[in-house]
Amino acid sequence: MLKKAIIGTAIFTAAALPAAAQDAYVIGLTGALTGPPAGTYAPGVDAMRIYFDRLNKAGGVNGKQIKLVIQDDSAEPGKAAANAKKLVAQDNALLVINTSLSSTYAPVIGETKRAGVPLLFANAVCPKEVNPPAEPLQFCSTAFAATYDSRASLAFIKETAKEAVNLGLVAMAIPVSRGEIDFADTQTGALGFKTVAKEIIPPPTPDYAPFATKIKDAGANWVFSWAPWITQVRSVEALRRLGWTGDFVTWAHLEAESELVRLKDPKLFVVGANALFQDGLPIHKEIEAAAKEGGSQYPANQMAEGWIAAQVIEAALKSAGWPATPQKVADALASVKVDTKGLRGGPIEWTKENHFRTKQYYRVYRWDPTKNAIVVAKDWYSYDVK
Amino acid sequence: MQLIVNILVLAAIYALISCGYVLVYRVSRVLNLAHGELMMLGGYMLIVTAATISSNPIAAIAGALVLSLMVGGLVYVFLMRKMTGEMVLAAVLATVALGILLRGLVILFWSAQIQYPAQTLALSNPTLNLPGGASISFYSAMLIVATVVVYSTLFAFLRFGSWGIRMRAAGQSPLLAAQRGINLHGVYALAWGLSTLTGSLAGILIALDSGLSQTIVMIGLKAFPAALVGGLDSLVGALAGSLIVAAAEVLMIHYVDPLLADVVPFLVLIGMLVVRPWGLFGTREALDRV
Repeated sequence: MLKKAIIGTAIFTAAALPAAAQDAYVIGLTGALTGPPAGTYAPGVDAMRIYFDRLNKAGGVNGKQIKLVIQDDSAEPGKAAANAKKLVAQDNALLVINTSLSSTYAPVIGETKRAGVPLLFANAVCPKEVNPPAEPLQFCSTAFAATYDSRASLAFIKETAKEAVNLGLVAMAIPVSRGEIDFADTQTGALGFKTVAKEIIPPPTPDYAPFATKIKDAGANWVFSWAPWITQVRSVEALRRLGWTGDFVTWAHLEAESELVRLKDPKLFVVGANALFQDGLPIHKEIEAAAKEGGSQYPANQMAEGWIAAQVIEAALKSAGWPATPQKVADALASVKVDTKGLRGGPIEWTKENHFRTKQYYRVYRWDPTKNAIVVAKDWYSYDVK
Repeated sequence: MQLIVNILVLAAIYALISCGYVLVYRVSRVLNLAHGELMMLGGYMLIVTAATISSNPIAAIAGALVLSLMVGGLVYVFLMRKMTGEMVLAAVLATVALGILLRGLVILFWSAQIQYPAQTLALSNPTLNLPGGASISFYSAMLIVATVVVYSTLFAFLRFGSWGIRMRAAGQSPLLAAQRGINLHGVYALAWGLSTLTGSLAGILIALDSGLSQTIVMIGLKAFPAALVGGLDSLVGALAGSLIVAAAEVLMIHYVDPLLADVVPFLVLIGMLVVRPWGLFGTREALDRV
């Protein structure tokens, strides 16, 4: 009798599961939640979890709940491939999110493309395929953008420098970072800068002093770095310990706000596309309250990227309607326009040809010792993305 | 002068880490591939002690080191002891599994954020100016001091200490040592404890100098070639190997290409394996057992 009951329950559950899955918008996510680079990606994933939990409590989208299926890939391509396969084949995800190192992109792109499922890069560097003319199934909501970030940073140096610029460049020895610093190097001549040092630093570096010594000895008075935060911050700290007094311009990753406060270095400039939480906008307060309520391990000021990605997904699902299919979601994403409520300098707007954004906005922050606070060093400025 | 300082700091990091590899291998012939994770755990122990035991830096660091010693001993008692009599490969694989477990647990308890224990303990990291225009951070200088103290203490302990002599005996011949009444499990547990303690000291000082994240595990792996170059069963070798690898790395960064920093330790290692596979100060017999 008991055996029959168990078998009966199992059959009922197996039959009921797909129905239950179809009764919600299923979003799959593969991300680096563990492993050395997890600090860059995990806060964004947590932000999305909190956002969708809140949304579900408020009734979901089009009366349906959003089910976020999160898979850890430890920033390993093999695990990312297995995750993507599971998400599209087993979980029937309408959309897959990749929040991991660029080395995981190829297998995830392959799996999603075969299944015809749209792929959103969120809080992970945008691949060039999302720029015009965009691949139909790839989208990116991440703030940082190859080539545009270097142009914005170098333009800021040009505008701010009071003397001839001897530039030091710092990258991490990973393809994305190296490519960007190589691009920056090609731009310096036209701006009248002289590149005096270019350091490509391997990720597992115990001591940054040898690299900093080279930059200092080369006579750099400005340094630009575009790399994962750990390389950026350890480079500037190593330079300061050697007594270097120049200006350091770098990308405002998620950690930037807390780190500006920790370092209190008035000559460290962070160039970013997200407004820092010290601006105290209503949306910042909303995220802070949600992070507290959601019991996040991460500071709210690291959640803007994940929040923006979730805003985009909500808008796309609303537009896709119910019942949704991967194609309907892809079509909705291709025409999305999201007001980020001040988290960015302008809206995220995608077209059939442009899955990155039509305008990329930048703002520069630094620490001001006289005010004992972070201040805006240069207000929003933008570039058209063509 | 700055180059020499850079070499000494890097050599101190490698030496402090690699002596842990040597201690465990020398006594039990096990390659501990979780040493990087145990080193990382030492850094997180400091965060625990700073938050729970005392905000006094010396007490917090001492507490973290005691905890690390205990963790090392417990790793032996609850994991490695079960590997006794099994193939060496099984023991090595057990350490790999331990490393994966520790990485997961660290994320679970402390998240993936970069932690700054120096900030928690309200410690500053002043720059010390040295003759010749060189400079060094306080905690980098402490790394060099700690390396000198650790190696001097270990040499004295292994030469004159009763447990040190037992450790050497167990390393040379476990069978004869057991027949002489030496408690092999006690000796092995002590070796694991000391290995974890020295690795943790490196982890703590690195964390105080530049913060703590999971990337520190990779630094643990980078020190492994230094131990192999010197000879996996020799503390003098670990010291010499660290100095050679660090010098090669810093000079390559400065004069050739910074990208070589990642491969230089392994180039030196390959060169050593070709010329003298058992390392500079290692013993041939130990290599055969590997």
